[in-house]
Amino acid sequence: MSQLDDLKAAIKDRLGELDCVIGWEQGYDALHATPLFIRSEADLDRLIIGPLAVHNLSTYLPGLKGKKVGIVVKGCDSRSVIELLNEKLINRDDVVIFGLCCDGVVSQRKIRAALSADPGFVESVTVGADDLKITVAGQNATLKLADVKADKCLTCQHPDAVLSDVLIGAKHGAPALASLACQDEFEAKSDAEKFAFWQETMSRCIRCYACRNACPMCVCRDYCIATSRDPLWVSQENSPTENMMFQMIHVSHLAGRCTECGECERACPVDIPLMLLRRYMNKQVKDVFEHQAGTALDQTPPLFTFKVEEERIHERGW
Amino acid sequence: MPAQDSRELRIVGFLCNWCSYGGADTAGVGRFIQPTDLRVIRVPCSGRIDPLFVVRALMNGADGVLVSGCHPRDCHYSEGNYYARRRLELLKRFLPITGIDERRFEYTWVSASEGQRWQHVVTEFTRRIHELGPAPLFNPVSEADWNALALKASQGLGCSCHG
Amino acid sequence: MERFITKTNLTRLAEDLAATCRVLAPVATGGTVTFHRLRSGMSIDLHSRMAAVSPKAATFPQTEELLQVTREGEDKKPEIHETLPQGKNVVIGCRPCGARGKLIFNPVYETEKIKDPYFIQRRDNTIFITLACDRPETTCFCHSVGGGPADTAGSDVLLTLVGEGYVARSVTPEGEEIMKHALFEDAGDKGKEADAKNARALEMMGPAHDYSSAPAKILARFDDMDFWTAQSAKCISCGACTYMCPTCYCFNITDDDLGLTSRRIRTWDNCMSHTFTLEGSGHNPRPTKAHRLKNRVGHKFSYYPDLHKKVIACCGCGRCIKQCPAGVDIRQIVNAAQEYSE
Repeated sequence: MSQLDDLKAAIKDRLGELDCVIGWEQGYDALHATPLFIRSEADLDRLIIGPLAVHNLSTYLPGLKGKKVGIVVKGCDSRSVIELLNEKLINRDDVVIFGLCCDGVVSQRKIRAALSADPGFVESVTVGADDLKITVAGQNATLKLADVKADKCLTCQHPDAVLSDVLIGAKHGAPALASLACQDEFEAKSDAEKFAFWQETMSRCIRCYACRNACPMCVCRDYCIATSRDPLWVSQENSPTENMMFQMIHVSHLAGRCTECGECERACPVDIPLMLLRRYMNKQVKDVFEHQAGTALDQTPPLFTFKVEEERIHERGW
Repeated sequence: MPAQDSRELRIVGFLCNWCSYGGADTAGVGRFIQPTDLRVIRVPCSGRIDPLFVVRALMNGADGVLVSGCHPRDCHYSEGNYYARRRLELLKRFLPITGIDERRFEYTWVSASEGQRWQHVVTEFTRRIHELGPAPLFNPVSEADWNALALKASQGLGCSCHG
Repeated sequence: MERFITKTNLTRLAEDLAATCRVLAPVATGGTVTFHRLRSGMSIDLHSRMAAVSPKAATFPQTEELLQVTREGEDKKPEIHETLPQGKNVVIGCRPCGARGKLIFNPVYETEKIKDPYFIQRRDNTIFITLACDRPETTCFCHSVGGGPADTAGSDVLLTLVGEGYVARSVTPEGEEIMKHALFEDAGDKGKEADAKNARALEMMGPAHDYSSAPAKILARFDDMDFWTAQSAKCISCGACTYMCPTCYCFNITDDDLGLTSRRIRTWDNCMSHTFTLEGSGHNPRPTKAHRLKNRVGHKFSYYPDLHKKVIACCGCGRCIKQCPAGVDIRQIVNAAQEYSE
């Protein structure tokens, strides 16, 4: 049986005891998947998995707290579930985790860059073992999956679900790059260059908060300080300063909690490379606290605790 | 003593009520000469300082931000400065990716009796900020600045994967 | 008037216009295409893809200063300066849906009793040079909501790509005035080719969906929260859809104070946000994303048409669908309401 059949059988098995199971189905065109809320066996027919099923569905879990929910997770998504559990934002007993052994998902941005025509004109897509055959505006193209994989997949240390009740497929690990060339290149730039980059990029931001709402760890939801009037952290004005301030809020509140699922960057309608900030912060967290969010149960996020003697913090001697 | 060169820069200081604010007071009572660029904001504890206070100050045009609290093990509330240390350390390490010069932010510990140490800290930090000069504003100011920025944007800069 | 302009000359025209007006055009930056104020050295990107953000900002900026307040000192009376928009704007290269979108504003911002000077001033001083679409994207449905790939409503000039240039057709006298520029040449018989192209683009869109039953059908579901909860399950309640939308016209007004000066600004609001309807008492009549999505869909396909001559407050550009991080499809929701049987 294929992974998808196994998954369907496993879900069918548990569906009776659950309010719904969250998975993916084909979206508005052949190139896009969309979240699927499975409530009946009939819904199960629409379930898909694979490289187009990009969404981190754990984003929905805190909003469904108190309900019995099943969720299909890739390796990276499972880290978000673990982090939500560690922060007691969801109850373990209420969640049934269907874990996948993931081979990576696509980046729509990379697909767009690789195609000669606008992927908005897509007619059909066939997902192969290591390629995508796409027909766009009457032209056929074959894209190697390796070339259009999301950045997070290139450095992914946890392709297999870290935590699951049912694991579908065989654990396979994955050879991963230690770091991303574009990240390294950006970090090596001068302060002035980086400053100018964010000024420019944030002038494009429309502060729609898609990055925030797609983030599984942004759990304040309706009560985010960025939209509060009292205290007033961010003006309603759309300007590079205010937009950057919001991103600083996002990144600060995720320090030590971000599971690097990349949903913020994927959700951005104007393609702002937000992961440059996230990856950098995560690197600092790892350096100082030897912590990677969502990689094990019962971890405490480093900013929720302290040590009297911090081995890796050397306050300035002045 | 006025600023270390002819103009004053805007430095924001967040000082814990129990130690550093007292330390600054001690320095004043002791008539220790200090630069006057620092604007002090008194907070109950360094643990009260959301790193975003620092960020907001920097984004709003502060040229430098100094946080000072009780020495570790001396917190009036036992643990506040331990949390502060973790948060502020991360903030300091994070700043470089934003292009904000991390030297514009510093955190340190000064107790209420350390008037001399306060004088040293504030003098050194002010000197450093003067060496760095006024901080660039994040929002372009003039039409010409906007032009230059927009042009750079349309030519693509910064991140190889995002053009 | 029908004339022809080469691609190179259109760029020149844009530069020429930029000397006297604010020109907004799609520009590729950082892997995306958005409308930018054209400045010397920037190149227009008309064809790689439809701009991610709509041209709405030309007539309804995301942040608009309404007035400034200054005070000389604590004991002085504050002085208030109204800051009405100045100068002329030209939008080049928006699509017919984007140009049509602003028409939805008219019955709201200009009525017998209420006239919004900011919007009206901008609208009346902005010229839309629109580019007809060659073929529909998977998210396009302009022909189902009264538009089309070569629709002229809301435009001043309509361009159709023919060979290495564009057949330009004037829609308004203002458009005709622009087309008197020396960079335009005689169209010859290229007009026929443009007609054929436009017809083909419309044909490629397939049959239009009939939304005429939508207002009543959506209203019939008004109290059926189960329906809306199911429809909004995957919505993440961000504001991408409303901010991308050419027809969303809701705004917020806030005062930004700084010392003795203050600015009153009007900014885009977002009905998907909890704070949109949050009342001072703490009560929120739209407490969940289901309530909010119901309003967004209902407003566009039911309440607005009921108030304003059956016009659907949607231009079918599809931005809300393709830019939605969760792939919420407004067409599907309206269909579900239309097809609903008890």
